[in-house]
Amino acid sequence: MADTSKETEIEASKEDLQRLEKALDFSNTMKTFNLNKNNLKVKTQNLLSHSTAGGSFTVDQSLISFMNFVVSSGKTEITLLDKNDIPVHIEDTEKFLDDVSSLYFEVVNDYYNEYQKLKSSRKIEKVLEI
Amino acid sequence: MSRGIIIFAQNNEYINYAEQACACAGYARRNLSLFDEVCLITNSETLQSEEKLINEYFDNVIVSDNFQPENIRLFKDTTDKLDYAPFKNMSRSEVYKLSPYDETLVIDSDYFIMNDILDQVWNSDNDVMINSKYRDISGRHKENIEYIDNFSIPMYWATVFYFKKSDFAENLFTLISHIKHNYKYYYYLYNCSGNLYRNDFAFSMALHILNGSVAFDVPSLPIEYLNNSFDLDDIFRINAYNDVIMYCADAEQVSSHILSRFKDMDVHIMNKKAIERFIDDLLVNGEKA
Repeated sequence: MADTSKETEIEASKEDLQRLEKALDFSNTMKTFNLNKNNLKVKTQNLLSHSTAGGSFTVDQSLISFMNFVVSSGKTEITLLDKNDIPVHIEDTEKFLDDVSSLYFEVVNDYYNEYQKLKSSRKIEKVLEI
Repeated sequence: MSRGIIIFAQNNEYINYAEQACACAGYARRNLSLFDEVCLITNSETLQSEEKLINEYFDNVIVSDNFQPENIRLFKDTTDKLDYAPFKNMSRSEVYKLSPYDETLVIDSDYFIMNDILDQVWNSDNDVMINSKYRDISGRHKENIEYIDNFSIPMYWATVFYFKKSDFAENLFTLISHIKHNYKYYYYLYNCSGNLYRNDFAFSMALHILNGSVAFDVPSLPIEYLNNSFDLDDIFRINAYNDVIMYCADAEQVSSHILSRFKDMDVHIMNKKAIERFIDDLLVNGEKA
């Protein structure tokens, strides 16, 4: 009886090993996925920059919402703090809103497409087109 | 207002920096458009050795034969190879005097521009722009601001910076030059580590002093992060003037690598030997259109 239980134990640990191998394999895939996802994120953060009138702005949803409020309040020019907290005078608020929102949609859409590509394939060779 | 991109390069017995600078100039030219010239600052010896190539990739060459004191640096080529060689990086403080441009963007000869974001520096209201935030493409360094020391000041990366001819920039470079000539003193004052003279350290100290030796913010470049590939990484393939696939050293086991693709994203490739292995591809992709 004691021998049988030992055999079962060995059998089980073989299965465990296989499962573990599979999990570790998957962990390698995830490692690659996460690194590439992070690099895409950093790329997006770097591209979401708009410079005008001597200032630089990080383009995000709050800038777009604020500008939308400014434009809908009828203000045609305003002074804004840029990413370095320097006051910058914006002479045409409507154009500025157009520029930042176009940039945002374009960059985030690219991020979405590249992220989908990354997510849809477990094969890094396919994703990176190697 | 004249606008120039300046790259420094001085060859040593280990690395052909002139070739790398040409590749780097090519990438800058292909991806940026709002500048007037790409300019190389080098010494006579380097110019003589690569004159034809340099004239192909640069609009302007400035020769500066200032004496470079011994500054020995460890160069890594992934975990496979280590080498010590002289690092001739001391003329950077002279860039204010040497630059013929009203606005100057200085980039390291291993910084590959692969999008047009840096075109946003021109006509900035800021006299100087430089980054302290960085990202490691392999994700090994979790913090995105490095400090000169745990008890010292934040480090600014002199890899890429912008300045315009102005009192602030002139004073900054005067201070950098002073720090360079009295490096031992400042080295201990700011708790620096390593024996190497680092432009990053000298710039950070000078910015700190110039801002009244208190907490300060220096305007950053339009890019949010400097995208650093450290010398444990390698290049897998160069696809185009805006597209590179890198071997990124695994954070847990640096001798293993993970592939990652960089498209429309600048990369600071610190593994000089990797650049050397792919120099032909880099030069071809940076050729004038």
